[in-house]
Amino acid sequence: MRYFWMSLGAVFVKDLVTELRARQVLPTMIVLGMLIVWVLRIACEAAAGSTAVIGPVAFWIAFLFSGILAQERSFATEQQHDCIYGLLLAPIDAGTIYLAKLLVNVVMLCIFEVIVVPVVIVAFNLRVGAGWPGLIVVLLLGNVAISSVGTLFSAIVQLCRTRGSLLSILVLVVLAPVMVPATFALLLMFGAIPAELVGTGALAFVGTFKAAVGYMVAFDVVFVTASWLLFGFAIKE
Amino acid sequence: MITLKSISKAFEHRPVLKNVDLAIGSGESVFLCGINGVGKSTLLRIAAGLLSPDAGHVEICGRDMTKDPEGARLHLGFISHKSMIYDDLTVLENLMFAARLYGLPEPRRRAADMLDEMGLSGFAYDRAAILSRGMLQRLAIARALVHRPAVLLADEPFTGLDGKAAAHLTDVLQGFGGAGHAVLMTTHDVAAGLQCCRRVIVLHAGSILFDAATEGIDPVAFARDYVTYAGGRP
Repeated sequence: MRYFWMSLGAVFVKDLVTELRARQVLPTMIVLGMLIVWVLRIACEAAAGSTAVIGPVAFWIAFLFSGILAQERSFATEQQHDCIYGLLLAPIDAGTIYLAKLLVNVVMLCIFEVIVVPVVIVAFNLRVGAGWPGLIVVLLLGNVAISSVGTLFSAIVQLCRTRGSLLSILVLVVLAPVMVPATFALLLMFGAIPAELVGTGALAFVGTFKAAVGYMVAFDVVFVTASWLLFGFAIKE
Repeated sequence: MITLKSISKAFEHRPVLKNVDLAIGSGESVFLCGINGVGKSTLLRIAAGLLSPDAGHVEICGRDMTKDPEGARLHLGFISHKSMIYDDLTVLENLMFAARLYGLPEPRRRAADMLDEMGLSGFAYDRAAILSRGMLQRLAIARALVHRPAVLLADEPFTGLDGKAAAHLTDVLQGFGGAGHAVLMTTHDVAAGLQCCRRVIVLHAGSILFDAATEGIDPVAFARDYVTYAGGRP
């Protein structure tokens, strides 16, 4: 067990240090995120749309696309000088590599969220009030979902030398089931869905805020576990 | 130390290795040669567990690569013409990272010792990206040996090295084999291969064509005969 934590820590620290030193991912993520928020804010104003509706949507669009950008880099550094073989030759389980990479992507997205969330709240004049804990939980669950799917498919796409553009398609398709409850949870939180409409229409299956969070937890648990177990097969040549 | 039993491998139905058997004992160093595309690198990658064979199995120090891959890889060092070094980490950090991956108790001290041994101490805190090809290869060797492996696999380790760096690598490979470890290497430089190793194996059409001690073999005549026989550059 000690060895598991040691190798997990080694890969995690190595990835974080190389990312922070290269300063390639975070600035690009922030610029893209801000651009998305700005464009949606203009669209909201032009169409006289409700900020409580567009705001939560802006969260997920910004996280999703900036997350994919970060995850594309996840295994790109391992491709340089065949570094991935250095990892695969080490006496560590492939699942440990996956978990370390997942943690790095979660941390990168967390740093991104710390910067972008206040901007979205101010730009769309959202009232969080006492809803901060709920907002943090939903954003974290969404973060884990995006990172877990992105990390797995980034490995498959990069290491199997498939075309890079496939990553976005695969990630977006697989994440669709979790994006519905994630959006629903934030819409409910910011009062964008009138109480009488909750449990009706297209989002009826999600039910309540608690149910939406439950869906997200289930997705995260299932996907992280499955990816951890399958990662070895996914990166095998 | 290395046992390859009945290894077969095909890529898209094109057989590359056919029932290859190879055993390398303690203190043995083997130079594996053959024309391009004959399957030398494939065999090495199968021995390292980077590629699964279609048939057969690999044992490293008695550990089966399929049943106990982590246990087998623990005894394995791998050098190739690609360094497996991270540009954005310092020279010392690269070695400490490798030492941690192998669960060594004092990664910093071990990494510093290896840098001393390879003559890279003066570059410990420099980013690996600034190293010359020769120094990068020294760092790659240090990385491969940091966990004191019993078996060393080297795939074209002389590629791109100048005379001085190649001589250093020859010393390392000879020293490693002489210390009771096992070496399996491939290189297109027949003279270097024969100088580093005590046994030579020629791979041809997916099988072992020739297996003999290197002692007494004339590199020039060997290369010439091989070209005549196989119709290609060894």
